Amino acid sequence: MPDPFLSIQSVKKSFGETAVVRDFNLDVGRGEFISFLGPSGCGKTTMLRMVAGFEEPSAGRIVVDGKDVTNLKPNQRKIGMVFQAYALFPNLTVAQNIAFGLNVAGTPRAETAKRVSEMLVLIGLPQLGDRFPYQLSGGQQQRVALARALAPKPRLLLLDEPLSALDAKVRVSLREEIRQIQKELGITTIFVTHDQEEALSISDRIVVMNNGRADQVGTPFEIYNRPTTRFVANFVGTLNVLEGQVVDAGAGTIQVAGQTIELGRSLAGRSGGDGVSLALRPEAVSLGRTPGRPGALNGTIADVHFLGSVIRVRTKVGDRTVSLDTFNDPALPPPVSGSAAEIAFAPRDLMVLGD
Amino acid sequence: MTTDITRIEPGAVVRPGNPPARRRTARMPTHWLGVAPFFLFAIMFLILPTGYLVVGAFQNPQGGLTLANIAALWEPTIRAAYWISIKVSFASAVLGALAGLAIAIAIVRGGLPGWVRGATLTFSGVASNFAGIPLAFAFLATLGRLGLVTILLKDVFGFNLYATGFNILSFWGLTLTYLYFQIPLMVVIITPAFDGLKKEWGEAAATLGATQWQYWRMVVIPVLWPSFLGTVILLFANAFGAIATAYALTGSSLNIVPILLYAQIRGDVLHNPHLGYAIAFGMIFITGMANVFYIWFRTRSERWLK
Amino acid sequence: MKRGKFWAWLTFALGAAYFIIPLLATMEFAMRMRRGTYSFDAFAVVFGDPRFQATFMYSVVAAIFTILLGVLIVVPTAYWIRLRMPQIRPVIEFITLLPLVIPAIVIVFGYIRMYGSNSPLPFLGSARGTDALLVIGYATLALPYMYRAVDTGLRTIDVRTLTEAAQILGAGWTRIITRVILPNVLIAVLSGAFLTFAIVIGEFTIASLLNRPAFGPYLQNIGANRAYEPAALAVITFVITWGCMTVIQLLARFAPKSANRPN
Repeated sequence: MPDPFLSIQSVKKSFGETAVVRDFNLDVGRGEFISFLGPSGCGKTTMLRMVAGFEEPSAGRIVVDGKDVTNLKPNQRKIGMVFQAYALFPNLTVAQNIAFGLNVAGTPRAETAKRVSEMLVLIGLPQLGDRFPYQLSGGQQQRVALARALAPKPRLLLLDEPLSALDAKVRVSLREEIRQIQKELGITTIFVTHDQEEALSISDRIVVMNNGRADQVGTPFEIYNRPTTRFVANFVGTLNVLEGQVVDAGAGTIQVAGQTIELGRSLAGRSGGDGVSLALRPEAVSLGRTPGRPGALNGTIADVHFLGSVIRVRTKVGDRTVSLDTFNDPALPPPVSGSAAEIAFAPRDLMVLGD
Repeated sequence: MTTDITRIEPGAVVRPGNPPARRRTARMPTHWLGVAPFFLFAIMFLILPTGYLVVGAFQNPQGGLTLANIAALWEPTIRAAYWISIKVSFASAVLGALAGLAIAIAIVRGGLPGWVRGATLTFSGVASNFAGIPLAFAFLATLGRLGLVTILLKDVFGFNLYATGFNILSFWGLTLTYLYFQIPLMVVIITPAFDGLKKEWGEAAATLGATQWQYWRMVVIPVLWPSFLGTVILLFANAFGAIATAYALTGSSLNIVPILLYAQIRGDVLHNPHLGYAIAFGMIFITGMANVFYIWFRTRSERWLK
Repeated sequence: MKRGKFWAWLTFALGAAYFIIPLLATMEFAMRMRRGTYSFDAFAVVFGDPRFQATFMYSVVAAIFTILLGVLIVVPTAYWIRLRMPQIRPVIEFITLLPLVIPAIVIVFGYIRMYGSNSPLPFLGSARGTDALLVIGYATLALPYMYRAVDTGLRTIDVRTLTEAAQILGAGWTRIITRVILPNVLIAVLSGAFLTFAIVIGEFTIASLLNRPAFGPYLQNIGANRAYEPAALAVITFVITWGCMTVIQLLARFAPKSANRPN
């Protein structure tokens, strides 16, 4: 990336013997919304805390806007941060919380007051300035925390699992609100989460982290549809994995559970007789022959879960289970477990997983 | 009156979910039966005896209403006793609170190894309960005329402590002794309050550009202030009512209120039983006012507390 | 960071010095009894003194009765309030904290005036009655500590749910209290008990004003008349207090963690 706004270069971090972040590289463009996605213990929070300045990298550099900030203290970095547990100062009102960063910077009183009311409007709580944090709901507190982080006009906004303490409905509405405010202000943002749906729905790009490394960096579309590693494929979304055997690597012919399927592309680096793992998203599979999905396998229906608008069907193909989603159609009888079924898919949706 | 102790256990919240009202009315008598022994005990052995003295403080020997007993508290000896008591209690409470606070900060925030904290808290638990007569013995053995420290200072450093006018049987001697239970009590109470400060508050302040001092001034001190002040009041009351240490240390040479009252109870040295009541009333009044001040302060300045 | 650590160590060291030197000095003083050499003579004299044995035993017995009385008053009350009357909790808490505000000497003064031999309830008319009044006074002193200990214990186990579960299984009140609640708050009750013991064992004011042959007045008497024995007694008392606190700490390790509550 030419002229990245935030550049994380070969950063490593170990606590004693344990390496938590191993060789992390990332360039973030100005105004970009990046998510660090991964299971707990993957190093995403540690990486974020290094950007914030709470942890010192064992090696590597962090550059913001062309300036090396690796050795700057957190209070010199001009960043805004939102924490999982809100972390509002309990002794200050909403307005005083938002004004905190401006006050410590010695901003003139009138200007502070103006900025605070702007921020209150931005987060949609203009009438709550005089309340204390304990008088607010979780969602409101987190919005105030966001306003507090943004009030001093930071160069970088860091969000450390800001939605995980909230209940499901608020989570969805607040994440949309965060994304909208971020776009409005054009602030470069890093968002840490373990929730893939969250990451997929609001990010420009996602960094999927595993075991201290960035496994894959890409747009939500790329991450979901074209995962490059088995970990990413497994972690993001639900995945059906089929074990097969290569029949003809050049022609892309594979045998799965005694049935032959054509991949329609060659399998580089493999030869006849090799085992191969194939992955399919549930929504890429349909029940019965479907136009545009020429690939097919025969199996039996094992379970039927009625989820409302969608019916999730689990079918047995050989000793493997393939889940698929079909839309609920009131005019048709639902699938019956135990009956034979043919499942169809487009060969290009079959992902060949690397190890 | 004091809510200090409750601060040790934040979160003692009344839980919602009372039994249905209908059942409550039907069961009213049995309901109260459950707490009757407690109230009976409290009334008979805590409230009535105290009330008896308070009423007596406003009566003359014939049972008539009078303010003469209260007025008599301004007699020079009695007034002096109150003044010394207040000075000792105040000095030992404030010094104890500050020293205890410093130790708590050192063990919570100082980056010392974990055993230091554990050992300090354990020791504080012991020392805060090591009061009374044995404590006086310990300080006599330390700073008395033949005490180890006095002798070491003289023999090793050639410094004659008692030539400086120091006396263990004096105001400063008593204050220094009281600190032995006051400091640990502060440590025991304020350490959990420090633990209640969330790490994220400091981090949030740092990302917002605050220096360590700004964070303390704008968040830590305001948040801890009620616990701190409450504990100071508790320490004050603790020292104000203490008699055993002072009595064993100084006999009756140091004229503090509890010792005066003790002498009055034993032998009516003031030749007026009702004046004894008035002295007792004065003691309750002072510790009570300290707590009223605390509550007033807390409700006025700490609106953010639930 | 480095500088902060220095100050922390310095503070800790100063504090440690203030607290440890008197203990060492007391020990040293107690061992000075035999001229020219250190010995444990003072301890031997103290332990051999029949008055030491008698007054100490008297205070131990008084402490045990105090604990029993405290448990009897506090446990059912704290339990009942958690279960049925949370609305009067502030009143109860207020009362239990009163002994921290009203000095012991005032309380016992009140007892002497109210329960004299000519009063309707002449506790002071007989030795047994005075003993009882001493225990009552001690229970009052220990009330704040006992109540907090038990209440904390009850909070961690969620009495309401436990009681309801027991009721659904058909248990009566006796069974609920003896089989369900008591075992679960036993640790808390024991902590309160040992704290009570530490407070009561050397108590001077009440025992002295009620003229009881307790350990506290004995200490005072020795202090006024002897040279080295008081230091030995101070060491012994410190060890007893230390023992009580250690037991409380050990008990805390066995206390039930709040398993059936989310936080």
